[in-house]
Amino acid sequence: MSLLCVKDLHVQFHEREQEEEAVRRLSFTVRPGEVLGVVGESGSGKSTAMQAILGLLPERAQVSCRQITLDGADITPPPPGADRRSRRMYERKMEGVRGCRIGMVFQEPLSSLNPSVKVGRQITETIRAHRKCSKKAAKERAAELLGMVGILEGEMRMRQYPFELSGGMRQRVALAIALAGEPRLLIADEPTTALDVTVQAQILDFLKRIAEETGMAMILVSHDLRVIAALCRRMLVLKDGVLVEEGTAEQMFQNPKHEYTRELVRHGARLDEPPKFVENVEYGKAGDSLLAVDAVSRAFSRGGSGRRIEAVRRVSFQIGRGETLGLVGESGCGKSTLASLVTGMLSPDGGTVQYHGEGRVQMVFQDPYASLNPRMTVGDALAEPLMLNTDMSKEERSQRVREMLLMTGLRPEDAAKYPQAFSGGQRQRICIARALIAEPRLVVCDEPVTSLDVTVQAQILELLERVQRERQISYLFISHDLQVVRRLSRRVGIMYAGSIVESGEPETVYKEPWHPYTRALLAAALTHGPQRGGQCNGSMHSTGMYSAGMHRIKGQAADLPERGCPFAPRCAYAMERCGREMPEMYRIGAREVACFLVHRKAASQPHIGAQSAQAPHEYGI
Amino acid sequence: MLRYTCKRLATGLLALYVLVTAAFFLTRMMPGSPFQGGDATEAVTAAVEEAYGLKEPLWRQYGTYLGNLLKGDLGISYKKPGVTVRQVIGRGWPATALVGFLAVVTAALFGTLLGIWQALSKRRTVRGSIFLGTLLGAGIPNFVLALLLALGFGVKLKLLPIAGLTEPAGYILPVFSLAVYPTAVITKTMCHALEDELEKEYVKMARAKGLKWRRTVVGHMLKNAWIPVLNYIGPAAAFLLTGSFAVESIFTIPGLGREFVNSIANRDYTLILGLTVFMGVVVIGVNLVTDLLCAWLNPAVRRACR
Repeated sequence: MSLLCVKDLHVQFHEREQEEEAVRRLSFTVRPGEVLGVVGESGSGKSTAMQAILGLLPERAQVSCRQITLDGADITPPPPGADRRSRRMYERKMEGVRGCRIGMVFQEPLSSLNPSVKVGRQITETIRAHRKCSKKAAKERAAELLGMVGILEGEMRMRQYPFELSGGMRQRVALAIALAGEPRLLIADEPTTALDVTVQAQILDFLKRIAEETGMAMILVSHDLRVIAALCRRMLVLKDGVLVEEGTAEQMFQNPKHEYTRELVRHGARLDEPPKFVENVEYGKAGDSLLAVDAVSRAFSRGGSGRRIEAVRRVSFQIGRGETLGLVGESGCGKSTLASLVTGMLSPDGGTVQYHGEGRVQMVFQDPYASLNPRMTVGDALAEPLMLNTDMSKEERSQRVREMLLMTGLRPEDAAKYPQAFSGGQRQRICIARALIAEPRLVVCDEPVTSLDVTVQAQILELLERVQRERQISYLFISHDLQVVRRLSRRVGIMYAGSIVESGEPETVYKEPWHPYTRALLAAALTHGPQRGGQCNGSMHSTGMYSAGMHRIKGQAADLPERGCPFAPRCAYAMERCGREMPEMYRIGAREVACFLVHRKAASQPHIGAQSAQAPHEYGI
Repeated sequence: MLRYTCKRLATGLLALYVLVTAAFFLTRMMPGSPFQGGDATEAVTAAVEEAYGLKEPLWRQYGTYLGNLLKGDLGISYKKPGVTVRQVIGRGWPATALVGFLAVVTAALFGTLLGIWQALSKRRTVRGSIFLGTLLGAGIPNFVLALLLALGFGVKLKLLPIAGLTEPAGYILPVFSLAVYPTAVITKTMCHALEDELEKEYVKMARAKGLKWRRTVVGHMLKNAWIPVLNYIGPAAAFLLTGSFAVESIFTIPGLGREFVNSIANRDYTLILGLTVFMGVVVIGVNLVTDLLCAWLNPAVRRACR
């Protein structure tokens, strides 16, 4: 017998006389204890469908459904024309289902927790909503739940507000709330999308464990096939509100039936491919450097405390003409500050940034919705850099705008439209066109594909590659996504807490990470493909010593040690020396690593080359 | 928080000083002398002006005034012999303050409730009528409303007293006519704030965890929605506590508003100045308190000061 059974779910949005079908005739079942994956891109109706099951949609959404049963009990929402009484009855019934029999976790833990209510109360009120118990008993249970989701010092955390917790910890709190009523089913709607790679791995790992231990069923909703593949045996693929394919994860990856599934799988796989580089460009030639960043630092004062936090500390790198340097790091590691330093939007506290190219350094931002002025036509937005930097006539400018639009895969007549008329991917093309129109030699791309769907990501990356081939420009490509960076970059730098801890060619760095942080990051990254033999792909399990080290991770950038290696508190290999002094960059062949482990090896084998280099752990560390 | 408090206190004092200075020189720039007119001869006027110190150079008068002000002495009235400005304020302020305070409390209470009702009611008619009410309430001047109320409830229906504050029922009409405008604004503010909160994820989360709707509203949404309301209540309270000339006149309330207008008509320099300074203190003080309260309501700010 199935735990949840949904038959012919249909959701329609009424908005300004526009009827929009968000979900069409969706039917599926969840068996007890099963982890079901729901995959689809933004706008595919996956979140809407989940919220419709719990009756959480706003009133302008018309939900009709033949039947929804949970454990045999009927929880079908009343039809659109239903009277007030049956709505109230349904609402009352659902109050007993929500949080108690079906728990739900949302994408963004910062906005799903009330910012002005203490964490403890947000948990205890859930407990007390479903069970008659004293405040004291609820508090004890809340502390127990926090322990269960892996939060130490629960008593102390309960007295804090959500803003005082890190992103991963907030999501753990949201999980504790969802688990408070001991539900039979957990709906996790993009639970790790807003989190860093290493934290994502921990949360997914926890979800898997809790499902195994408690026998709770789970619906995992995500746009990321990798996340789904890491946890689910069976999955549904949604497109434009329609269920296009259903089956096991293996079937989907090996033999996808629907065209859309094939596309999803193919684009995901392409990200894993090694990059194709421009052949006629040689990189790293002395004197050919376009950008030289030498030991730049930048600090910000935080809050009223007067303490200054170093966002970037003594970072050095060079970018040659036509070359791409990829920078990988988690949120708060200072990569965006570094981008601002390179473009000159911020000036460094120390060190120098030397740019040898003509024109200004241009930039492509993460959010194409926020980085285009909604009151400016695309043509005006593109022509603006020309107006400021050149003395072209109006005709010349519009000619250039048309060329740029064509080059970035848009149509010349799009110049007259406003940004609202475009999708996220098209907007990012506009942003790229705007960055390129003044013919810069260097473009800084700060998470340019992070907010886009997978298939669109691939298109934008292709565009960036093509532009680079045609125009021989250089990129500083910043992302938290290892795969995306690898796809584009000739060299990568791994950033942690304001410093580059390791850099080198992606092939060698990815294959043999030397710095413990790089290892942890790579271990946490999900790979593309179904789980094999019930095991997660990639090594995000807590087995293996590196991930065991990562699981000790706590704290955030604000709790950085005053002295020594910034990664030392989280590092499984930390020695006494790491707490005392900061390791300098040790150069071995084409690679640079800021870790004493490597130093020891470099000292023992002074003539070591990049090819023969072995990972430090093989030296008995 | 301490730094913020000091900063706000300092700017408040500075504003007060600018106010005193501007008011002092503006009253002196008014043409004519407070003792002109009537049958008094030039010699008499000059003698009186001499006695009151008006013949001294302006900067010395200003210095004397500031010096006395620091001691809390607001001087004596030019037109009411033997009466100090402090006495005038002492007589008028209690009535004004009580009426104003009652109006603030009434507006805050009803505005909040109506705002919640408007934002959350599922009935179109309820939402529509409250909306219409706020439009009317914000649009009608309080003296027109006061007159209409006095005519309706006092003269025609003879239900409520329309003059003086001798009996408790006498407060009803003046308080009501003063409270209508701020009630309308608070309703509107509250409704907008709640509508914004409704869209927030944490509301969905609260429902998803099985909280009753009432608990979600009271325990979660109101906490956040009240901050914009509080931001308005500050200035509104300052305005109401300093008295309304029109409403006080219509209901013959012996308050500050009346004194103020009379002092201007009488060219009673010291009284004008004294009242200006006093009202300045009230306005700046109330605003300071609400600003600090709003900051303190933000848990991030509160945490930083510990």
